[in-house]
Amino acid sequence: MKARALTTDAIFGVVPIALVVAIWQALVSFGYAPVTLLPPPGLVFARLAQQLVTGTFQQEIAATLFRLFAGFAIAVVLGVTIGLAAAASPAVNAVVRPLVRVLAPLPKVALYPALLLLLGFGHESKITLVAADALFPILLSTYYGASMVEQKLIWSAMAAGTPRREILFKVVLPAAMPSILTGCRIGLVISCIVVFLAEMITSTDGLGHLLVTAARTFQAVDMFVPLITISLLGLMLNGALEALRAFLLRGFPEV
Amino acid sequence: MMTRALLARATPVLACLGLLAVWQAASLVLNNDSFPTAIEAIRAIPSILGDKEALINILASLRRMAIGFGVAVAMSIPLGLMMGRSRTVASFFNPLLMVIYPVPKAALMPIIMLWLGVGDIAKMLVIFLGVSLPVIYHSFAGAKAVEEKMLWSGAAMGLSSAQRMTRIVLPAALPEILTGCRTGLVLALITMITSEMIARQSGAGNILFNALDMGQYDTVFAMIIIVGAMGIGLDALFERMRARLVKWSEPQFDIPVSFS
Repeated sequence: MKARALTTDAIFGVVPIALVVAIWQALVSFGYAPVTLLPPPGLVFARLAQQLVTGTFQQEIAATLFRLFAGFAIAVVLGVTIGLAAAASPAVNAVVRPLVRVLAPLPKVALYPALLLLLGFGHESKITLVAADALFPILLSTYYGASMVEQKLIWSAMAAGTPRREILFKVVLPAAMPSILTGCRIGLVISCIVVFLAEMITSTDGLGHLLVTAARTFQAVDMFVPLITISLLGLMLNGALEALRAFLLRGFPEV
Repeated sequence: MMTRALLARATPVLACLGLLAVWQAASLVLNNDSFPTAIEAIRAIPSILGDKEALINILASLRRMAIGFGVAVAMSIPLGLMMGRSRTVASFFNPLLMVIYPVPKAALMPIIMLWLGVGDIAKMLVIFLGVSLPVIYHSFAGAKAVEEKMLWSGAAMGLSSAQRMTRIVLPAALPEILTGCRTGLVLALITMITSEMIARQSGAGNILFNALDMGQYDTVFAMIIIVGAMGIGLDALFERMRARLVKWSEPQFDIPVSFS
């Protein structure tokens, strides 16, 4: 029953995407939009397929993915550590809380010029920007998840003689895992977005750079290709994280 | 109790001062030409805000942001609420939104500029796109979590489905919706800066990156302070409004999860 409902949902969900592509095609075929401004979808996807097998395009994807993963990994490590520490210790909390309050609503992109001046135009500045942007959702949801852990669980562990340090890893961390993973998911989407933007602003490689080069030469087809690629990458990474979530949370009640 | 409340209010200010102090110390230690001290950067702020053209530029940016944000919120909340209450609507829009989600909205700027030119409309459209998604998602989640019983009671008392939506679902989902709006607000600011940075014609983002190109480093850092202050200020303002609107609900996250 449930499986069938899911398939209907899936079929239903494809409709609007198909509709968008159809409108796109119609706009071109009925001459509302000139081909130079809006290339037909067939042309764009053909170009995408043709590009995907070339070595240079794969290198651009690799450059983007490297920055994305490096930044995201730093954000996960820092976010989970600081989040757990803030939930476990009132002293850390007193320091972290006001800092986060100030830094979280700060538009990090505005910091990018400063990062460029300090870290140069290479990987470092972009990775730092990605990490800075992805950090806060992960930190906040870790903190939130860890401070919502049921006190009874901790008491039982203490009564059973678990040392304090182990409680953190054996009780708090697993109990906060669903919340942490939600934060990671948001952080991942952010990483995709930010890495692309950073590459658009200054870069010599990567998908964002491809878009800017295409825009400078008014190659509309080549402008769509990196955009679709990053969307597909985002979907694939999201799917991978979803699988990881299912694996890590096996045995959890449905969350 | 009074001093405690006062202290709680003062801590963000202390955090700001602390960050500025760290900056000052770091720049003194590094002694790098392209990294001015915090004091130098703060000194450059009056000359930017005193320049009439720059001020008009910044205000024009804020106006675009306000319009883009307003239209996005007005359209996203009804859509999100409908998705939350109807499985059909949800399964119709969800995959489309999933596909759009990881696309950086500001990256659409070059394409939109091809169609609409570099004017206000292109920038507002990009801000609109950036703000919509989080607002839709949070409204969706909020409406989905509304207790069925309340809706049944409403129906039993003769509320039409439209009335149930505005009188039950909307207020019940309001805390969650406002969380979405708060995220959207920060996003609007981010998208505003990035779109202006890409279009390079006017606005706060343009001032920032022009200064970078021309090597006016204290202007760069002064603009960063101005933009940062805008973000923190708008967020604090919104938080006040939110606290007033949904006094009855405990805030879940008292800090927004912002992203570009």
